[in-house]
Amino acid sequence: MNSRPSQASLALHALHAVPTSKRLIKHDMPARQRSKQETLWYAVWLPQFSASSSESSAHLERQQQIAEALSTLSATVTIASVDSFSFEVASSLNYFGGIDNIRTRLINLLTALLDSWQLPTQIYHAVSPTPAASLLMAKAGCNLLVYRKSNLRAALGRIPLQALPLSKKKKRQFHNSGLSILRDIWRLPSHQLGQRFGRDFLKHLDQCLGHVANPVPTYTSPVQFSSELEWDFSIENKQALLPGIEELVERLCVFLQTRELAATRLCLRFLHAHHEPTLLHLDLRQASRQHAHLMLLLETRLNAIGLHAGSVGMRLEVKHFQAVSLNSAALKGIAATSGTDADDNILPLLEELQARLGNAAVRRIQLRDEHCPELASQDLPFGEAKPTYTVHSDKKTARPFWLLAQPVHLQKSEGRLFYHSSLRLVSGPERIETHWWKKQEVKRDYYIASNRQGMRLWIFHERQGAAEPAKQAWYLHGIFA
Amino acid sequence: MPSPNPNKRLAALLANTNLWRASEHHLAAPQQVNSHYPGAPTGFAALDASLPWRGWPANALTEIITPLWGAGELQLVLPLLRDISQQGHSALWVSPPCIPYAPALASAGVDIARMIIVTPQSHQTLWGIERALQSSACAVVLAWPGKLSGKHIRRLQLACVTGQTLGFLFHHRYIRHSNAVLRLRAEADDSALTLTVLKARGSHRHDRVRLPLEPL
Repeated sequence: MNSRPSQASLALHALHAVPTSKRLIKHDMPARQRSKQETLWYAVWLPQFSASSSESSAHLERQQQIAEALSTLSATVTIASVDSFSFEVASSLNYFGGIDNIRTRLINLLTALLDSWQLPTQIYHAVSPTPAASLLMAKAGCNLLVYRKSNLRAALGRIPLQALPLSKKKKRQFHNSGLSILRDIWRLPSHQLGQRFGRDFLKHLDQCLGHVANPVPTYTSPVQFSSELEWDFSIENKQALLPGIEELVERLCVFLQTRELAATRLCLRFLHAHHEPTLLHLDLRQASRQHAHLMLLLETRLNAIGLHAGSVGMRLEVKHFQAVSLNSAALKGIAATSGTDADDNILPLLEELQARLGNAAVRRIQLRDEHCPELASQDLPFGEAKPTYTVHSDKKTARPFWLLAQPVHLQKSEGRLFYHSSLRLVSGPERIETHWWKKQEVKRDYYIASNRQGMRLWIFHERQGAAEPAKQAWYLHGIFA
Repeated sequence: MPSPNPNKRLAALLANTNLWRASEHHLAAPQQVNSHYPGAPTGFAALDASLPWRGWPANALTEIITPLWGAGELQLVLPLLRDISQQGHSALWVSPPCIPYAPALASAGVDIARMIIVTPQSHQTLWGIERALQSSACAVVLAWPGKLSGKHIRRLQLACVTGQTLGFLFHHRYIRHSNAVLRLRAEADDSALTLTVLKARGSHRHDRVRLPLEPL
């Protein structure tokens, strides 16, 4: 057994006058007499941790690192608060060969981490059958080991009430009532406790004693994939890079398949000898884990970008995943016939086009309920918005298939309007007046005109500023193709 | 040996049912032709009648040559777009000269949610058209490729066959050597669109069809 006093327990002596030894005090029966169903929770409190800024991303990262380290000791790890963790050890006692070995490993793990962050190595820890009691004992600085639930009450009796997670007002209330340790509470008549100190406080005590279930959220490590290939020489040719990419995608697909996941965003980094790495981002419209599909998209994307220099290695990183939804083909068929999204089969093509031409190059048009002609049609990058189906039922007026982005000013020749040849008005006018509440008021008379080439044009006469005839010009706005 | 009357010989030849007459090929046995090249109805009876497929040639490239944009060329494909979009298929528009106007398409009965517009940079246009035609995901591809050569058209025609896609190329210039299955020249006047069949694979007829335009 480790007889050298650890730094952690020395610090503990200095801060708290609770009698503890270097080793955990075994408060009750040895392990072999425990009933099998009992759980055992290890709680760790790191007070120096709360002193650092608790909301920053660096702090969250450290928290995750600690949780990762703890998950080498147990399958169930919980981040209880910013500075405390708990994990279940009953199931791993046999594996590690007793609670003392777990304690040694824990101290080594945490000391290494805290040293690397240059934080003081103060570690408070306790073990009991309930997570709440363990945390309470750890925070009170009692370095205790309690194996059985029935002994919890006795072990917790000496915990000062000031150590409980309570508001200042409550603590003052206890102080004024002459209550200093938990045993004082338990001496009071139990039916009055709820009235005097609130239901939440009672529930917390019951959770400590294991009378009430205390479900805790378990920490799951975020999934990420990262794989790298390096070689001794520099490759300039993009085609020569493809086998390497294929190898990385192969690894990714195995990774995804074993975890029932699909990737939604890929990042491929080409490493260069003397330059910054070239980044290749690939956003997938639909999560995928098909080798051929991912390869096709990466290849298309690779052909569209330029590499700064010959690459000496590459790394594929994936941090964004989605659970795979395995729809059966039959169900999909039903969905397609019932008029829901049948885009599925065209999506791979659109993704490929977007990968090479850019996201904004693939577009969709959408109707809008607007009287002003140029606002009635909206042109959006694909995937930005789902088209809404607005029905124009009463609109019987003719509209052109091509609408010019900017109306073209029509010249006059020999007193007649001119576009390729002189124009003849076919029908009209259709008056459109709208947006009078805005600065750019729309006041136009639309006509349909045709020229000698057989083009049918949608032209308008600007009525804005009727006082000045010079401003009243004619514009071409659309073509009936 | 005296030769028989040439007219008699001709009559005997013509009486032979095994004789293949190129000019009347599709008219003689339309069902036979149709089984080889299934056609998609154009929506214009007069045009259907003068094409060997009784419609647009499926899995093939159709060239439409117009002197100017806006000569009624979109009206030509409108019935087709209406049909395929209502059947739940998609149409891709590659680099159209303007963005198509949604209210006009919607009021013509086209499901605009199935219309996808691709606007590549000019040097990427041909790649985009070829990729779209090769893929079987979209039923119809309408393309405005700009500059073209016979070699490009040949490649695009092959892409149509690979992807079993109905492809339309719209352009201004007449290209001498074109491998497209159907070539049409479209010219409009005030009331009608005049189509000239420049080439239709499997037929030697060069019909001229006048389609009345919808009055506005």
